[in-house]
Amino acid sequence: MITQLIERGGDLSERAQVCVIGSGGGGAVVAAEIASAGHDVVVLEQGHYWTKANFTQREDQMLPRLFEEAGMRQTSDGAIQILQGRNIGGSTVHNLCYSFRTPDPILAMWREEHALPDLTPEALRPSFERVEKNLKVKQILEQQVNALNRRIRAGAEKLGYSGLVTKHNREGCIESGYCILGCSYDAKQSMLVTYVPRADAAGARIYANARSDRIEIGPGRTKTVTGSVVDQSGRAMGRVTVEAPIVVLAAGAINSPDLWLRSGLPNPHGEVGRNLHLHPSAMVAGFFDEPIDAYRGIPQSYYVDEFIDLDRDPRSGYVLMPIAGFPVLTAASLPGFGREHARQMRDFAKLGGLLVLLHDRSAGRVEPGSSPGRPKITYTLEPDDRRLLAEGLLHSSEVLFAGGAERCLVPFTPDALVLRSGDDLNTITKRGVREGEIVLNSTHPQSTLRMGGDPKRSVVGAFGESHEVPGLFVADMSVFPTSLGAPPQITTAALADRTAHHVLDRWTELAG
Amino acid sequence: MPPTSARAFATTRRGFLRLAGSTAALTTLAQMRSVPVAAASASRPGAFFSPAEQEILTQVTERMVDSDAPGAPRVRDTATIATIDALCASLDPSITAPLPTLLRVVDYAPFVFDLHFTRFTRMTPAEQDASLAGWMRSRFALRRQAFLALRNLALLGYYSQDETWPMIGYAGPLLRSAVEPA
Repeated sequence: MITQLIERGGDLSERAQVCVIGSGGGGAVVAAEIASAGHDVVVLEQGHYWTKANFTQREDQMLPRLFEEAGMRQTSDGAIQILQGRNIGGSTVHNLCYSFRTPDPILAMWREEHALPDLTPEALRPSFERVEKNLKVKQILEQQVNALNRRIRAGAEKLGYSGLVTKHNREGCIESGYCILGCSYDAKQSMLVTYVPRADAAGARIYANARSDRIEIGPGRTKTVTGSVVDQSGRAMGRVTVEAPIVVLAAGAINSPDLWLRSGLPNPHGEVGRNLHLHPSAMVAGFFDEPIDAYRGIPQSYYVDEFIDLDRDPRSGYVLMPIAGFPVLTAASLPGFGREHARQMRDFAKLGGLLVLLHDRSAGRVEPGSSPGRPKITYTLEPDDRRLLAEGLLHSSEVLFAGGAERCLVPFTPDALVLRSGDDLNTITKRGVREGEIVLNSTHPQSTLRMGGDPKRSVVGAFGESHEVPGLFVADMSVFPTSLGAPPQITTAALADRTAHHVLDRWTELAG
Repeated sequence: MPPTSARAFATTRRGFLRLAGSTAALTTLAQMRSVPVAAASASRPGAFFSPAEQEILTQVTERMVDSDAPGAPRVRDTATIATIDALCASLDPSITAPLPTLLRVVDYAPFVFDLHFTRFTRMTPAEQDASLAGWMRSRFALRRQAFLALRNLALLGYYSQDETWPMIGYAGPLLRSAVEPA
């Protein structure tokens, strides 16, 4: 049963065998797999339970509904805006459906450098296959590639750059383009329409509006999760208490370490909250000679992978990803204000973006902030990453021009760099990316409770279980040992599936 | 010429006043982060911003989106400010608590930062643009962050209005229920 606590009213007090904190890309998988095995599962989700009937395709309504801090979460210095889901289904409800398995060189690095010898493609295959089946992952068809993606593909091919039409988790997509505001047609196979209903059907008790504020250990194997019934604004309206021998933390790579640290859970080597990778991204806006209505159709179906060679260097590189927004998101991604900003917006229909998404070496930190759910997030781009980002902006512009753009806007702040076809693109790298002088976003926070075989360098072991607290697991992007260097949806779900089956294999020991 | 930091702290009367004023205003702003929303705003039931704050916000938004331009819907003719007000009222108070104070700081910023003896709301549009540019280009990160917060609120309020969509060539939602009155 899925219960909206602010509608039901009162406090919540429950006992279960498993308490899952978070219902997104990791938590929903764990809940569904364990509940489907016949066990007693409670899921606590701080966000609301929105369904397709609530997905109005309007930004003023959907940004506050679907995103942490209404889409205004950012690093403490304001340099990077972080988009994360806050609803049943988590970020999978607003993501754009890229479905990549974990790259083999990344798994090799995790095995060799993070003492995770069993993390092989073969060992993960059953999890990948289950997840891809449940999320209905399939190849995007040629006729589904929209105008923007076609132009970017044409530009990349003209330049001889490597790229591919990707796989997605969609079923019956009508190509409305409103994916980032939640799918009004239930075509996106997010957790909301796949694993959450599976967990529900298997008897899991799923509570929306239940924010977890603290995890207490003991007595014995018991763990007690306490928190608050919260409305959409985060105002506390009641108390939450759940006792369970197994707790699975899956609140995302920002909120999970925040909760861990607020709870005073063991952190003997100071690793909790460190190693934050963000896959920071910057959008070059290309303006074409005619309206392309880039917001219609599948937003991201093509992917330029020319500038990442994980076999050669699994630690760095960048990919280029088409991006289109609706008016508010687009306006926010363009630098400046006033007349010049408005002039760019007048060409909204001609605008198509190409994101540089960085496989970052830079590492930041999450620490508890002023209140629960408002952690302090620090992150500074290292010089090598700034250099790569500048190079990526150059290549984004190059691809957009080759695809037919008449002018490109590079999002330096306070003054954007506007380039016309034929201009010297080296202007971008000569200027370079300076700290705080570029519009940056992140949709992939990761690695803050990382997995590893060495307890001195990691927080959880190979199956996501705490090195220090038996029965306390992590199943979200926090566990990635390093930056992933690829869209994380399938890796997150597959590792969560693996964790769930590990819990089931040790059921008597952990829950008995 | 001395390095930038030395120039910024040179003990001229103007430099001293700027530094003292900036520090005082920003310190006040930083401290106001924890002020309860109820104490900082709403004189009308259900409203987040007071009428005076709404007027400042309106003028800030007009400059942010250049709504005086030919063909642009005027901010005052749309529900832009009501949209921002409703959004702020619905958010976590720890996010929105500083906003009323920030608006008042913006109104008095010309005194504090520019020695311009006029409030923001009594300036010409060109002077207002220059004042906002001062926030955007400030060497103080907190001031730049404050600018971005106001800018993004203004953009959200304005570009979520149906009336602005024809101007930019956005066809609007496909769902009929999203564009028709309930």
